[in-house]
Amino acid sequence: MYDKLLEINNLHVNYKTADDVVYAVNGLNLSVRKGETLGLVGETGSGKTTVALSILKLLPEKIGFISNGRIWFESVDITKTSEKEMRRVRGEQISMIFQDPMTSLNPTIRVGEQIAENLLLHKKDMTKKQISDRVDEILRLVGLTKEKKNDFPHQLSGGMKQRVVIALALACEPKLLLADEPTTALDVTIQAQVLSMMHKLKEKLDTSMILITHDLGVVANNCDRVAIMYAGQIIEEGNIRDIFTAKHHHPYTLGLFGSIPDMSKKTRRLAPIDGMMPDPTNLPDGCHFWPRCTDRMDVCKMCEPNPCYKDTHMIKCHLYKDLYNERGKDYIVGKDE
Amino acid sequence: MSKTLIQTNNLKKYFQTPIGMLHAVDDVNISINKGETLGVVGESGCGKSTLGRTILRLIEATSGEVLYNGENILKYDKNRLFEIRKRMQIIFQDPYASLNPRMTVSEIITDPIRVNKTLSDKKSISDKVSELMEIVGLAERFVNTYPHELDGGRRQRIGIARALALGPEFIVCDEPVSALDVSIQAQILNLLMDLQEKEGFTYMFITHDLSVVKHISDQIAVMYLGQCVEIAKADELFMNPLHPYTQALLDAIPVPNLSLLGKEKKLIEGEVTSPINPIQGCRFYARCPLSKKECLGSLIPLKEVAPSHYVSCVLCI
Repeated sequence: MYDKLLEINNLHVNYKTADDVVYAVNGLNLSVRKGETLGLVGETGSGKTTVALSILKLLPEKIGFISNGRIWFESVDITKTSEKEMRRVRGEQISMIFQDPMTSLNPTIRVGEQIAENLLLHKKDMTKKQISDRVDEILRLVGLTKEKKNDFPHQLSGGMKQRVVIALALACEPKLLLADEPTTALDVTIQAQVLSMMHKLKEKLDTSMILITHDLGVVANNCDRVAIMYAGQIIEEGNIRDIFTAKHHHPYTLGLFGSIPDMSKKTRRLAPIDGMMPDPTNLPDGCHFWPRCTDRMDVCKMCEPNPCYKDTHMIKCHLYKDLYNERGKDYIVGKDE
Repeated sequence: MSKTLIQTNNLKKYFQTPIGMLHAVDDVNISINKGETLGVVGESGCGKSTLGRTILRLIEATSGEVLYNGENILKYDKNRLFEIRKRMQIIFQDPYASLNPRMTVSEIITDPIRVNKTLSDKKSISDKVSELMEIVGLAERFVNTYPHELDGGRRQRIGIARALALGPEFIVCDEPVSALDVSIQAQILNLLMDLQEKEGFTYMFITHDLSVVKHISDQIAVMYLGQCVEIAKADELFMNPLHPYTQALLDAIPVPNLSLLGKEKKLIEGEVTSPINPIQGCRFYARCPLSKKECLGSLIPLKEVAPSHYVSCVLCI
């Protein structure tokens, strides 16, 4: 059996504002195995970052709530963990790389001290000398010279800052790394450098990773498994071959691929999805994608589809439910949890 | 043959900084044919936006010429510039920052008409607004909304409608889709291409995204630290990139296609060096895997190595 490191069951997250309730995550199931990289793909507002914040219990206080569901990390239910215990988990067991390296470092503290702070909090038995050596070592791992530890963040370029942020996240060798769009703010050549470095480090430290991104190219090059999110749910999931080479997909996934200019083919027009993301305060009934879907049927407007499985490939769409049509015959309908 | 609409000759823009001259645009020679699209690609800080703005004279050039239909617009006085500006417009990168939050959609779209007094009576102005909103695909009901009520894709459509208000010939698109999600990005790209086919616009399309630039451009210019290092037809550039920087840039794109995964990639080391007091010779020298001593010393000119394929690299001379 595979060892599951993280398992999310039927997660619901709401944000309560003065006027509305924002339904950010709506019944999400997801699991991460030891040592694997899971790509979490979706557009702005699909709830990717909310999932990451829920795992760390960093949802904004008094606004964001986990209204239902369980998050199992190893054998601990994070939704039931106290704040005091969570502090030991964050940074040591699970750590996060935030999207914007420019704003995720403290501008008044030297980068070396920021990395050391993490070690000071979590590795109480380390001596000063050991901590300083560890900072030098981790900087070398992310491709920076140890002299850089005396610099302030503003003295570093965007790519270097992101390397420092990665060093910070990896300092305690966490079991799970949540990388929220780690390279979106970087140029392509720097992005390629940072991604290849992250990949090597992950192998070396045997860390599991959730890579949150909207770039399918980044996913193809870095992930073992992919989950595609829409309006707070996983609508398609599978290993990398299922998503990139299988014949059948969720209509939304097809739209996502149709929106990227294909460099190997000459097409004059892209095939984007019409319309936009539904308003998360007022989600449509049934399948949340139906107002934009080209293959919609009457049943889509009424009831939410169950996940349909073919080996490792899961598609949450009514089209794959029917055993007797061409698409549905390979897929087995699963039960909704 | 198609006619050249925009041409720059040895265009330079330097900025004075406390520690020396910043060479933002240095000796750039490009030309764009009427009805075609020139894509300008490069990493942040390579001077691509400054180039676009210098061509429109939103920033005054240090030296060189910008020819519009053969006339040097850098020599134009205030009145003639005012006239020519109706023919040249810009779409900005950030649809959140480039719209006045205190103006309604219709006020934003009619602002260029008001400033240039092309239409005077209220009826024809409101007809024009409806027409422009229909062209860019904005529903009529948004006419009195404020930008903050709309999402990024719709805001960018307002920016496009504003650029079209005076009936321009030439539009500089300064990263018009980089702040948008992929599915919205594709909608906007399709819109820009439809408009070009219908109205015969000439675009200068500035972006850092190579897959977008290939899709939309006829010609592509690759910039590095203020200089144009390679210019070629879009297909030619992707099939046969000659400058080591272009090759590295193409290799660095993550391709959403598993069959290309095994391919060995040439990643370049290091980061973009400072454009302040740059070295003499090839500016890519410090990061180039193929650098040799001939690269330094003198300026390396753009050389035509194949029909309409220009490269500035000692390896190609």
